[in-house]
Amino acid sequence: MQTSLTDAALWHRIHFGFTVTYHYLFPQLTMGLAWFLVYWKWRALRTGDEKYNRAARFWARIFGLNFAVGVVTGIPMEFQFGTNWAGFSKYSGAVIGQTLAMEGMFAFFLESAFIGAFIWGERRLGPRGHFIAAVGVATGSWLSGLFILVTNAFMQHPIGYAVAADGTLALSNVGAFLLNPWALVQFAHNQCAALVTGAFVITAMGAFYTLRGLHSEQARVYLNTGTLVGLVASLLVAFPTGDSQAKMVGRYQPVTLASMEGLFHGTRLADVTVIGQPDISQQRLENPVPLPGALSFLACGTFQSYVRGLDEFSQNDWPDNIELIYYAFHIMITLGTIFILIMAWANWKRWRGRLESSTGLLWILMLAFPFPYIANSLGWMTAELGRQPWLVYGLFRTDSGYSQVVSAGDTIFTLIGFVGLYFVLGLLFLYLTGREIHKGPDAPYPVAKRQEVAV
Amino acid sequence: MITLWYGILAFMLTTYVVLDGRNFGAGILHWLVARNPIERRQVIAAIGPLWSWHEVWLVGTGGVMLMAFPRLMSASFSGCYLALFLILWCVLLRGISIEVGRHLSDRLWQDFWDAVFVFSNVLLAVLFGAALGNIARGVPLTSQGSFYLPFFTNFGVRGNVGLLDWYTVPMALFCVLILTAHGAIYLTMKTEGAVHERSVRLARGLWLAAIPAFVLITLLTWLVRPQLLHGMAVRPVSWLTLIISAVSIYALVTGLRHQRERLALLGSSFLLFGLLMTGAVALFPVMLFSTTDNSLQLTAAECAAPAFSLAIAIAWWIPALILAFAYLCVIQRHYAGKVNVSKDNQELY
Repeated sequence: MQTSLTDAALWHRIHFGFTVTYHYLFPQLTMGLAWFLVYWKWRALRTGDEKYNRAARFWARIFGLNFAVGVVTGIPMEFQFGTNWAGFSKYSGAVIGQTLAMEGMFAFFLESAFIGAFIWGERRLGPRGHFIAAVGVATGSWLSGLFILVTNAFMQHPIGYAVAADGTLALSNVGAFLLNPWALVQFAHNQCAALVTGAFVITAMGAFYTLRGLHSEQARVYLNTGTLVGLVASLLVAFPTGDSQAKMVGRYQPVTLASMEGLFHGTRLADVTVIGQPDISQQRLENPVPLPGALSFLACGTFQSYVRGLDEFSQNDWPDNIELIYYAFHIMITLGTIFILIMAWANWKRWRGRLESSTGLLWILMLAFPFPYIANSLGWMTAELGRQPWLVYGLFRTDSGYSQVVSAGDTIFTLIGFVGLYFVLGLLFLYLTGREIHKGPDAPYPVAKRQEVAV
Repeated sequence: MITLWYGILAFMLTTYVVLDGRNFGAGILHWLVARNPIERRQVIAAIGPLWSWHEVWLVGTGGVMLMAFPRLMSASFSGCYLALFLILWCVLLRGISIEVGRHLSDRLWQDFWDAVFVFSNVLLAVLFGAALGNIARGVPLTSQGSFYLPFFTNFGVRGNVGLLDWYTVPMALFCVLILTAHGAIYLTMKTEGAVHERSVRLARGLWLAAIPAFVLITLLTWLVRPQLLHGMAVRPVSWLTLIISAVSIYALVTGLRHQRERLALLGSSFLLFGLLMTGAVALFPVMLFSTTDNSLQLTAAECAAPAFSLAIAIAWWIPALILAFAYLCVIQRHYAGKVNVSKDNQELY
């Protein structure tokens, strides 16, 4: 009997979707925090002011927890290409394997060599060495992001490849493959979004300690650095990176753009709908509140530009869940706008010297930190659901990519295993992070427990 | 070019086993050598700052396998689906147990994570050993070039085989023994006091036990797949790897005798390296041997990516490797010598 529980293609997708979405909750913070740590270590080196060292030490502990969860949830990802997506691996391994192998060789070796030394080795390394370790970790984490985004960009907008005699893909132009314009735009957009997460988390911590009346010197450092970077990064996420990304989608995946905006019929003066739900069966939006012409302007540069609608494409090539793409994209955009407003407000107050006394705003800043995680996840949902029904856009369909020998049942089984493990992992992470926050940044610098050494 | 990449893949996987193997070994011995919380912190600190650098060799091997031999990756990983997820979950648990255990200086908490640590290390050593046995014995490849391996069938080594049989189980146990011995050598180098004394005694005993085990496993391999010894004999490279192994044994024995711990670790590392590389030479050019029909086996040439991809990858792989070792040198300079509990107290206070 054929039911959705026996639909292997679906379960392989959910399997990867779940593990990768969960995984990315952690690297987005490490990538966002990494340069804050470098900055504070650098300030400490330059000014000799111990408060920057304390900030770096405190955040290194939070970083370390995130990093550990990021590593242990990231390792399965690479192997899932082989276990769950054997068809895809065989078809495109010669191309995407390049960047995945580069990630291991260039980014992970760098990151992993310095991470232990950075978190626990301050006494081993000395101030300069510790700063260098911070730079190594930050560079490694961003390089890793770069290679993953080049890989993803190939799936979104394949270039630099040739089709080999047996029908699989081969690399033909390395330069084009690595400098894929899609990759550069997506990398910039994604890294700015990671900085937004980092900045909101740091700001939230500063707001929390201020509201609690604790660690006021440290809280001020977090609020100052966090709100400044938060504003700049939120602006950069929207413009130019988000804007260019949307134009890129409009140019190379017009059917995806139409799904993101719920544009069923092609038109000039295409609207952006602020509120509205797509109704696929009727091919229209319910209760739309439109901004007239905005989509034409944003996607193509003029209000008069023609934007192609879903009706111009075969339904066979439509992404297979338009509602999800539409909601994901719209909520991401809304959140992105709210981030800019909150951070602009916070910077205004900070500039006036009143941030620490604005209780209402501090509450908002403290509670805002989950939303960048949501926006990041939704952005990736837009990208990955928007790519459907293709695994490699225009070349290779998702339903030919999964492992034929692995049944739906086996996939559900391992998926449940991951859900269980990751639930426990999430609890542990929250518990340990909570402990660190409770102990706070002004905990004494650890000294060896002498009685233990004496034993 | 394909031969070169076969060599690189073997080199990376072997390096992974040698480097992370000592952590497996230390993990398996954890309870035997360390009898109280402080001693256990010593073991964890010895694995300390570089275990994730070691684990990256596994990730790198996966990436290189996907890039250079996409067909091998897709057939073998999907074919060993459930076993592979067991490995992935154990890798996950091991990572968590190292990272999480040291966060609380609570006795019960640390004992629990120590147990997870030992359990996942034992299971990983068994699974990697069984995997090695499966590579040597072959898998039930079909004419589509794929297979799906159950945990066990009738414990035979021909036809419709499973992950475990009368050959792969001894192989798994042999690997546990060898990795434990290797880990013991590492602990003698990194620790002091009682842990050191126990590690020295265990290292001697385990390496002695490894000798008859090795003879037995060689004999079994010869029974299961006689072609391997032939493959070794016709390829002169195997003489090189065998010489490496022989010199390593000498270094290991001398190191153990005269308590030159670095020499012993080098010996045991290169012994593992030499033996595994000899195995890789013997297997070449077959990557997936078929237990059902010899004509179905997948050779390196059949699994390999197109020549241009492989040529490009050489251009970046070599500098990347040099860089990787450069980082290691920088870090290891700071961590040379014995674990220092006051400096390496990795509890997050």
